[in-house]
Amino acid sequence: MSVIIQNIQIISPGSPLHGTTEIGINNGEFVNPKTLADATELNGNSAWLVPGLIDCRVNLREPGLEHKGTIASETRAAVAGGVTSVVATPTTDPVVDSPADVRLVLERAKASGHCRVFPTAMLTQGGSGNHLSEMAALVDAGCVALAQGNRPFNSRKIEFNALKYAQSLGIRVILDSESRDFAGGCAHAGQIGTGLGLSLNSPLSETLGLGADLELVEATGVSAHFSRITTKTSVDRIREAKAKGLQITCDVTLSHLLYSEQAIVNLDPNFHLERPLRTEDDRLALIAGVVDGTIDLIVSDHSPHETGAKLAPFPETEKGMSLIEGVIQLLLTLDQRGELSFEQSLAAMTSNAAQVINQKELGAVQYGNPADCVLLDPNGSTTYNQEQWLSAGTNSPLFGQTLPGRVMGSWIHGQHIAP
Amino acid sequence: MHGPAALQLTPDGRLKHLLTTEGLPKSLITELLDTAETFLSSQGQPVKKVPLLRGKTVVNLFFENSTRTRTTFDIAAHRLSADVVTLDIRTSSASKGETLFDTLKNLEAMQADLFVVRHSAGGAPFFIADRVTPNIAVINAGDGTHAHPTQALLDLMTIRKHKGDPANLSVAIVGDLKHSRVARSLIHGLRGMGCPDIRAIGPGTLLPSDLGHLGVRTFHAIEDGLKDVDVVVLLRLQKERMSSALLPSEREFFNLYGMTESRLRLAKDNAIVMHPGPINRGVEIANEVADGPQAVILDQVTNGIAIRMAVMAMTLSTQQGSHS
Repeated sequence: MSVIIQNIQIISPGSPLHGTTEIGINNGEFVNPKTLADATELNGNSAWLVPGLIDCRVNLREPGLEHKGTIASETRAAVAGGVTSVVATPTTDPVVDSPADVRLVLERAKASGHCRVFPTAMLTQGGSGNHLSEMAALVDAGCVALAQGNRPFNSRKIEFNALKYAQSLGIRVILDSESRDFAGGCAHAGQIGTGLGLSLNSPLSETLGLGADLELVEATGVSAHFSRITTKTSVDRIREAKAKGLQITCDVTLSHLLYSEQAIVNLDPNFHLERPLRTEDDRLALIAGVVDGTIDLIVSDHSPHETGAKLAPFPETEKGMSLIEGVIQLLLTLDQRGELSFEQSLAAMTSNAAQVINQKELGAVQYGNPADCVLLDPNGSTTYNQEQWLSAGTNSPLFGQTLPGRVMGSWIHGQHIAP
Repeated sequence: MHGPAALQLTPDGRLKHLLTTEGLPKSLITELLDTAETFLSSQGQPVKKVPLLRGKTVVNLFFENSTRTRTTFDIAAHRLSADVVTLDIRTSSASKGETLFDTLKNLEAMQADLFVVRHSAGGAPFFIADRVTPNIAVINAGDGTHAHPTQALLDLMTIRKHKGDPANLSVAIVGDLKHSRVARSLIHGLRGMGCPDIRAIGPGTLLPSDLGHLGVRTFHAIEDGLKDVDVVVLLRLQKERMSSALLPSEREFFNLYGMTESRLRLAKDNAIVMHPGPINRGVEIANEVADGPQAVILDQVTNGIAIRMAVMAMTLSTQQGSHS
C-alpha cells in the first residue's frame, strides 16, 4: 500500500529532501510522491517529518533479565520516544557472546519487537576479559559492532589483542573507557557527592582509561567507538585524537547532556547511573562537543529496572535510568533550553548513528531508503505518568513531567505504527 | 534547601526528623542546645528520669555496628520513660532495598513512634524518613560518611558550655575529614551557628578536595592550622586508612598530626580539645593531652545523652503537634 504524507516539513539534515513538504511511501521505501498513482493521502497538519531515531545504546534486557524489561516492552517504549532502531547492549544474563545468542536476540526481536533491533556482542567470551570471542561468527550472525560493555579487560595486553584481531577483520569495537584502579563510587567526586557522603568516582577513572584506550586504538588501527564519555577532559582528548586523524567516533548519553551532579541532591536513585553525572562545566563541554562534531552520537543508555532495584538508599540501588520513552521529546527540550539545536541533536541520532553502525540507508529521509520516519508535532506536548508508561522500567525521572513535542505516528520500513 | 535538609523540617520550620545539621538555622540549634541543658542536673549530669515520652516506643534500628552511640540513645530514651526496642540488623552491602523497606513497614505496623537509624549507606535515614508513615520521627545516628547530627550537636553543646557562642570562635578539625560523618556534620553545625573560622588539618589524602565552598580553610601543616584556635577537634583514625594506602603508618600520623602538649600551646591558652571517641592514644592524641585539663572528651559523652534526649523530645513533640 502506498501513502503520500502532505503538508509536512521534512527535517533530515544532509538530505536533499530537507525542508520539503511532502513524501511518498511505497513498498517500504521513501519515494517521490509524484510517481505514485492512487496512494492514500495523509494530511500532516504542518507537523515535522524526521528520520526515525537510531539509539545506539539500549539495554533491552533479553535474554535473562526479563524482570527488568523485554524486547517487546522496551522497543514499544522506544517507538513512543521517536526511536525506530535500537542497538542492543550485550550485557544481558548470560551475556551475548555466541552466534546462537545473537540469533536468539534477532528472533525475539522479529517475534515481539516494535522497531528495528541491531545486536552487539561481547569482545571476550562471557565478558570475562580473557578469551577473545568468535568475532567473525558474531558479525556473520548479525552484530553491528562488538563491545566489552562495563566489563573490564583483564589486562591492557588482552585489550590490545582484541582490538588488533577486530581490526584485522574490519570489525568496529565499542569501548567504555575506564581505569579499573579508579573504578567504582556512586557519585562524581565533587561538591555534591562529598557533601552527601557518597562513595566517589573520580573523573580520572574515565580519562586514564581513555588515554590508554586511545593509545591502543592508534597502535592497532582498529575502528573504535567510545561510548558514554562524561568529562570535559575526555571531549578534549577525543577532539585532539580526531584532529590527529584517528578513525574514532564517540557518544554521550542524553542524561549527561540534560543533568549535572546537581540532580542527585535529593538522593533520587533514578540519577544513580553507571557513569556518574558530573559538573555543570562537564555538561556544557559535552554539549559543545556535540555542537562542534567531536561527539558524533547521542544515546539514551536506556536501562530499565524492576521497582525493587531502586527501592533502597541511593548507594545500594542498581544503576541506570529508563529514558527511551522521552528521547525525541528530550531533544526538543534541549532545543527549547537554547543549548542544542534540534537539527544538531537529530543528526547525532540519525545520519551519524547510521554511519557508526554501518546501516547507511537508514537515518535519512531520501528516495530509495527504507521508510523509517516519525511524524512529530513540535508544538504539541507529551505528559508522562505511570498509567501510560510503556517501558517495564519505572525508574525514570520523567514522571509528572510535560515535555515539548508529540509523536503523531511512526513508520518503520513503511509500516505505520500509531502512537 | 533540598534532600535531607528540607525533609527534616515542617513548613513552619520545626524539627520533625533529625537527618543532618546542614541547613539547620541558628535558632533551632540553639533551641536544641537549650533543651538539652534543661536535662542536665545542677551537677552537670543528665537527670535520672522524666516522664516526657511515657507510653512512646523508640526503635533503635542499627544496620551498622555501634556500641557507644547505641548505648547513649538507649539511656536517653529510658530517661525520657520511653519503651525501647533495639534491633541489630547487620546487612551485607549486597542486600537489597526490599529488605529495608519491608523491615520499615513491619516496624511501623508494631506502632513505633520514633526510629533511631544507623546505616552504612549515606542517605539511608533519609530514605526511611521519606517513606515512613506520618507522625513517626526519624533520627539519624550516623549514615555512611554523610552525617552524624547528634554527635555534631553534642559537640556544639560542649563548645558553647566551655567557650561560649561559636560565632566568636576559631575551630580546627584535625585528621581524617574525608571519611568522617562527624566532621561533615560539625562543619554544617558550626556554619549554622555562624562560626567565622573553621579549619581542616590533615594530609591531602585525608581531606576532601573541595572544602572551600563550605567556608573551611585547609592546612597540611598542623603548626599553621592550630595557631590561635579556641577549639581543637580530633577525629578517630581508622586502621583501614593504612591498608588502603592513604597513610604510611600510625606513627607517621602521630609525628605529623598527633596532639601533643607542645602543639597545643600554639592554640589559645585555654583552648579545649575534643574527640568523638574512642580515642587512640599515641595516634591522634598524646597521653598528657588526653588526661590534661584542656581535654573535655568525657564531658562530650555526658552531653551526648542530654542532646539525644532533647532531639527525641523535640522531634516527637513536633510529630504529635502535626497529629492533633
